[in-house]
Amino acid sequence: MRRRIVELALMCLCAGQIGVQAQEFKVFDRTVQFHGFASQGFVYTDQNNWLTMHSSQGSGAFTDFGANASMQVTDKLRVGAQFYDRNLGNLGEWHPSLDWAFADYRFKPWLGIRGGKVKTALGLYNDTQDLDFLHTFALLPQSIYPTDLRDATIAHLGGDIYGSVSLRHHLGTISYTAYAGHRSDSMHSGYPYLLSQHQTYFDTYGGLQYGGDLRWNTPVSGFLVGASRMNEDITGKGLTINPFNPGAGLLPYSEFSKADWTNQFYGEYAAGKLRIDAEYRRYVRDQLIFGGTSANLTDVRGWYVAGAYRVAKRLEFGSYYSCYAITSVIWGPLAALAPNQTDTSLPANHIYDQVVTARIDLNKFWNIKIEGHFMDGYGNSTYPDGFYPQVNLQGFKPNTNALVLKTSVNF
Amino acid sequence: MKSYRLLPLVAAVVMFGSVHASAGGVKIVANPSVRADSITAAELRSVFLAEKRSLRDGSHVEPVLAKSGMAHEAFLKRYIGKSDDVLQTHYRTLVFTGTGLMPKVLASDAEIIHYVGKTKGAIGYVDSDLPVEGVKILTILQAGANTERRLITRVEPEYPDTLQRLRIGGTVRLSVTVSPKGSVDSVQVLGGNPILSESALKAVKQWVYTASPSQTTIEVSIPFNPRP
Repeated sequence: MRRRIVELALMCLCAGQIGVQAQEFKVFDRTVQFHGFASQGFVYTDQNNWLTMHSSQGSGAFTDFGANASMQVTDKLRVGAQFYDRNLGNLGEWHPSLDWAFADYRFKPWLGIRGGKVKTALGLYNDTQDLDFLHTFALLPQSIYPTDLRDATIAHLGGDIYGSVSLRHHLGTISYTAYAGHRSDSMHSGYPYLLSQHQTYFDTYGGLQYGGDLRWNTPVSGFLVGASRMNEDITGKGLTINPFNPGAGLLPYSEFSKADWTNQFYGEYAAGKLRIDAEYRRYVRDQLIFGGTSANLTDVRGWYVAGAYRVAKRLEFGSYYSCYAITSVIWGPLAALAPNQTDTSLPANHIYDQVVTARIDLNKFWNIKIEGHFMDGYGNSTYPDGFYPQVNLQGFKPNTNALVLKTSVNF
Repeated sequence: MKSYRLLPLVAAVVMFGSVHASAGGVKIVANPSVRADSITAAELRSVFLAEKRSLRDGSHVEPVLAKSGMAHEAFLKRYIGKSDDVLQTHYRTLVFTGTGLMPKVLASDAEIIHYVGKTKGAIGYVDSDLPVEGVKILTILQAGANTERRLITRVEPEYPDTLQRLRIGGTVRLSVTVSPKGSVDSVQVLGGNPILSESALKAVKQWVYTASPSQTTIEVSIPFNPRP
């Protein structure tokens, strides 16, 4: 572990030497801005291995980075693109992806359109969940923003209609986003990794994603409330081993949605150095599996309450309580092999996470976070949330404490 | 008892009056290409939060921020309602989600004035006591002011040949009283070269604004740049 800490310290020192200046250059008399970011984390857990890392030995396999270029072509038209790459334990594995790339045309403040690969508006932080430097916490509440499942919600290839309207009588501002597109998961994401324990290997996983977000900046300064809805029609195709006849070799596998939706409600209050926010998400996933011969209904409910206070210009403290509960019911022949999980009081079906954080801003472009997680439960079900059997071969312990150190730079 | 009679007048001034942008320690400066002479506090906030890139009269604008300083702090507190850290987080959110660009940030008032003066559509803020040239000063209409009142006929002042040849320029500041119908009732010179002021005064008397329920007093700045 000492070696890992030394590595992390060296990485921080190196990061501090990076020339963190945004770059600009002209193309056809238009300014092109170039920005980037990177983060490095280190996780140590006292019990279970977490987030596919061998964290009980201390793991620094927690790296990401990205860069973008954007140009305001006219007053109303903007274009840009960002690539993103990460390695998180056994996820990501340094396979770069196009994070977003789109053209944005704003007719009026109340009406704009975006087309291309667009970040999905879902709750307070879905579109910024990779951007460590924007947040107080090293890990956002995993009940709502599971970092192992970022691919499931992060972006869609399609279009958005968006805008904001100032309400009369000083009643604040309403902002809206409506979107539709295609979600395409990396094969190095959490769900494909979870199913690989059963020798099920996806070639493709994704499908239609559409929904909307409505948020009200209330007349109370700094107080925002909102709601998001997302519907999906997901298909996964690949190969699997017949669980009833493992010797028969790999067979074609498919699964597809009967119903797949997410509702999310949120609020945020910021006043001076204080920020408080809370969110609730329900995710229902009714999936026909093994080519439709069996079905799996997963019902995930998560919420959190978070607070942060900047005690000094360069120091902020934060804390949150995150509550995750999952139930899973299987119908069809597979039900004989996979028992229903409906009792959310069991550690296999919940994760209650108490978190404390200190964020130190060394300058405007570089920060360090020290975070403690005190988790009750491991929420291992037919849909993942941080804990995977593949890296916990000895079985799960009911409680996990984690120390997370993370640093990030941006320019 | 008599003091109560003044209440409607006080209320009218608060509701419909305009204030000079320098109130509170900063004045709003804009490139002369910005047609508007005034901006509402809500518009100013929208422009600096990158929600708007044009004013209600169609003028293209792009915000210019100060890196730090008293004027910067005063501007953020009074018009944006966010601390510098929170504002930077806001801009980074836009930049890294593809929904906006980082605005120009300059280190001093002098740099801001120079940049705003030469950059089409640029709008910034500087210390209210600082003399400025080559930029126009925008009046900020407070909440409750008639935001629809805008200039519909503008007559440009003549630049006296002699002064232009001698490269004598500067900004003339005028207090313009506009009638409810939109014509200019009276003009008072607040500052500037006397000869340039005379020329500006002649032109401004011919300006016409949109109608309003009440008389309005607007502060107008007219730059005379001998090297256009």
